[in-house]
Amino acid sequence: MSRENDGFVFHRGLLQGVLNVVYRAINFLVSWDHLPTLLGAVNLSVFRDRLRAYNLHHTGYGTTSSGWSTGNERWRSADGSFNSLDHPRMGMAGARFGRNFPLPECVPDSMGDLLEPSPRVISQELLARDSFIPATSLNLLAAAWIQFETHNWFSHGIPGPGNEFKIPLKPDDTWPEHERVNGCMQIRRTVPDGTPREPWLGATPTFRNLNSHWWDAGQIYGSNRARQMLIRSKSDGKIAVGEDGMLPPDPDHPGADLTGFNDNWWVGLGLLHNLFAREHNVICDGLKTRYPTWNDEELFQRARLINAALIAKIHTVEWTPGILGHPALDFSMHANWSGIPYRVVRAVLGKNSEAAYGIIGSPTDQHSAPYAMTEEFTAVYRLHPLIPDDMKVRRLDESKVEDCKLVDMQGRFSRAFMDAHGFVDLLYSFGTAHPGAIRLHNYPNFLRRFDKDGQPLLDVAAIDIMRDRERGVPRYNRFREMVGKTRVKTFEEITSIPGAAKKMRRIYKGDVDRVDLMVGLLAEDLPDGFGFSDTAFRIFILMASRRLKSDRFFTDDYRAEIYTDFGLDWIQDNGMKSVLLRHAPQLGPALEGVNNAFAPWNVLRG
Amino acid sequence: MALVIAIPYLVRLAIVSDPDELLRVNDAAVVARPLSGLGGLFNRSVAARLAVFRTPAGDIWPAFRDRHDPLRAAHQAMLEATLSDIEPLLQRIAPEIAQLGSYVGGGRAHRSAEDRSLGVVVQQAVGRLFFAEYAASEASYDAARTLQTWLSAWPLRACWIRRSGALKASLARIEAASCGNMACAHATAIAMENIVRSIELMRKLARQGDNLAKLEPQDALIRTLRAPPRLAREARDGDFVGLIRLRSRTLIVLALDNARRQRASDLGLPFFAGAWNQCPAHGLVPALLSKVWQAARTRAEGGV
Repeated sequence: MSRENDGFVFHRGLLQGVLNVVYRAINFLVSWDHLPTLLGAVNLSVFRDRLRAYNLHHTGYGTTSSGWSTGNERWRSADGSFNSLDHPRMGMAGARFGRNFPLPECVPDSMGDLLEPSPRVISQELLARDSFIPATSLNLLAAAWIQFETHNWFSHGIPGPGNEFKIPLKPDDTWPEHERVNGCMQIRRTVPDGTPREPWLGATPTFRNLNSHWWDAGQIYGSNRARQMLIRSKSDGKIAVGEDGMLPPDPDHPGADLTGFNDNWWVGLGLLHNLFAREHNVICDGLKTRYPTWNDEELFQRARLINAALIAKIHTVEWTPGILGHPALDFSMHANWSGIPYRVVRAVLGKNSEAAYGIIGSPTDQHSAPYAMTEEFTAVYRLHPLIPDDMKVRRLDESKVEDCKLVDMQGRFSRAFMDAHGFVDLLYSFGTAHPGAIRLHNYPNFLRRFDKDGQPLLDVAAIDIMRDRERGVPRYNRFREMVGKTRVKTFEEITSIPGAAKKMRRIYKGDVDRVDLMVGLLAEDLPDGFGFSDTAFRIFILMASRRLKSDRFFTDDYRAEIYTDFGLDWIQDNGMKSVLLRHAPQLGPALEGVNNAFAPWNVLRG
Repeated sequence: MALVIAIPYLVRLAIVSDPDELLRVNDAAVVARPLSGLGGLFNRSVAARLAVFRTPAGDIWPAFRDRHDPLRAAHQAMLEATLSDIEPLLQRIAPEIAQLGSYVGGGRAHRSAEDRSLGVVVQQAVGRLFFAEYAASEASYDAARTLQTWLSAWPLRACWIRRSGALKASLARIEAASCGNMACAHATAIAMENIVRSIELMRKLARQGDNLAKLEPQDALIRTLRAPPRLAREARDGDFVGLIRLRSRTLIVLALDNARRQRASDLGLPFFAGAWNQCPAHGLVPALLSKVWQAARTRAEGGV
């Protein structure tokens, strides 16, 4: 290990260098979101280059490779090892989370400051939902989708008892007496990283990702070989489904489906897991027709590659522009996947340019550090306000609407709820319901007093605050600085939400540098069309591209020899809408005229 | 009161020299040892100077480890336990103490040559506290001097030290002589210079009248003990520390030797005794200097 991120270095080209200087001058006068579309898109690529140069930091691997298996060269290993053939541990399940900031910046406060201000007070006074604030440009599948995706990218594991944080409670707090210890609310700590620490880590805590870091649809296929074998039918490469076409129950996890990763299970995840398990099986049928001699393993692994790439494409060109509705961003995300639509510029920039032809199929590049998901990335993806407390369950064939509570469609209740209401009607209901806006005072209240199977009573909002603090993610103002934005000096600079600045000033005792990251992100005024904050978006700019650019199966090995011509065509020709219509054709009228499957669908009756 | 200088894009600096303020700032939660280089060109330049004190494998020298670094606390405790066994350690370096005593009580011939050999002897004495077989040389002392110069040189000279390869070579030489022990590397490259300065002062003190005969080692120690002139810290976030308002990314210079002069009788201050960053040699160095003074007296009394 060298002091320079395991030897990885970012090489900035001449054009990138010039643009960097030019845009520093431009951004001194105009922010990126107020530029014309094309200039705004170039501005985003300049941000990305800066972030690639300065915001990738290695924390060591913290794991050992499971060893070479036949097929690792041409398909994804179950645990994500050997994606990089030179660095087989990179991104594998069990490897450490990296960092987006220099390691000395990622140090938790000392114990006294760590609990200040009380996360419980923040949960009650800044996060609690007074009345539901909907995100009217999205449907509820968009909320389920991001959880579906984060379950692919990361898991810190389920915290166990012992050495809990003890959060003092105010005298009028309604937290149940039997859940208190010495009058305090307890929050379990993140599962510690027990692997030997490298001396250069300094005071930065490290944690391991139990899932593979790659964008490999690990939520469906699992992050180890044993789990993968458990979900397979072992015939024609298919995933096991019941006679009703639905995923079978997981005997170890009551209420959840048997799939790759089913923590924090609810009906929203059930819908997407079932949808893409069906998609996998249809891809297997297509491959079997074209390659009749392939065995079960070959069919399964090739179908996985295709399905994973399709999910990545949907996320890139549909979900993201759906939640971040800005023309420059829409242009950039399509350019990320398939390049820019200008032939002359393409010719000038050349075949290997990711700007010209898209990241897909371009040369693999880790830039300035070995690939890993980062703690800061997990922090900006705390999007629980997307979840409503209640939703209307509709039926396609009648106008009857049933009011249901989210708490009754999660955990051990999930499968029963799915059985009672049906796969297609629930898809329709999710498509016609709105998620919550990602703002202050919109945190689902059922999660603030959440009775999760096998856990003590949880205030997930308070836990979210503590997680960022204990993992050494910088607080909001320093986080802004580290992603290249200026620090704010007053609470009013953060937010124009009525009353919020005053409340924050009181809770944080007037110290704007103490504002928690999540609070700042939820409070921040948004660029036009954006569903979440510009500060969080900076990490997103970097990591969304990195998930593709670092992965050889999206870059060097995105070719017919690996995916087959059939596979490449499948990815090219399909999107969320076609997947939905293939497996639930009854949704046709609801989706008619809907350009983005994550936008609200047509309500057909009532 | 601290001197605060803030010029946008150039410098954001606070110089603290009052002993109480200095200890408060050193202990403040917003103040960290690692420097980000943010805050201005000057801040960046200082951060770049300190950033080189890492091994090729990335290991951080102990004096630059952050407060909450678990390895810092562990190394500090381990080293302190080793260096607390004072008498045997001083026995180990008895020949060097005798040489230093001769220097303090000696004549004025070959001043520059003597000063140079003083550095080598001090480096050898300090190194042998870590390894009995540590061997200092003119080359290793030159390496230490290069690193000390690097820390305080003007930009052009610093640039020359880096570009000429002297910096890299000096780091390599010091680390090789220390057999990879970073505490030893720090002590024999940087910390030793405070002992050199103290012994030079002892020599001056000894030459004034009959100080050598009259002053007890403890009194001589109080008058000659020197602390590092400056230590660098950074305020990561803005906050008030006592009456000082630290803005985020302020480079904090702790003028430790200045503070020591204001409280010369406090022998713990130069070592941050009792603070989180207490020098593990806080007991050993005063004992060593006392021994040197004693050796000089013995030499004078014996008429050698």
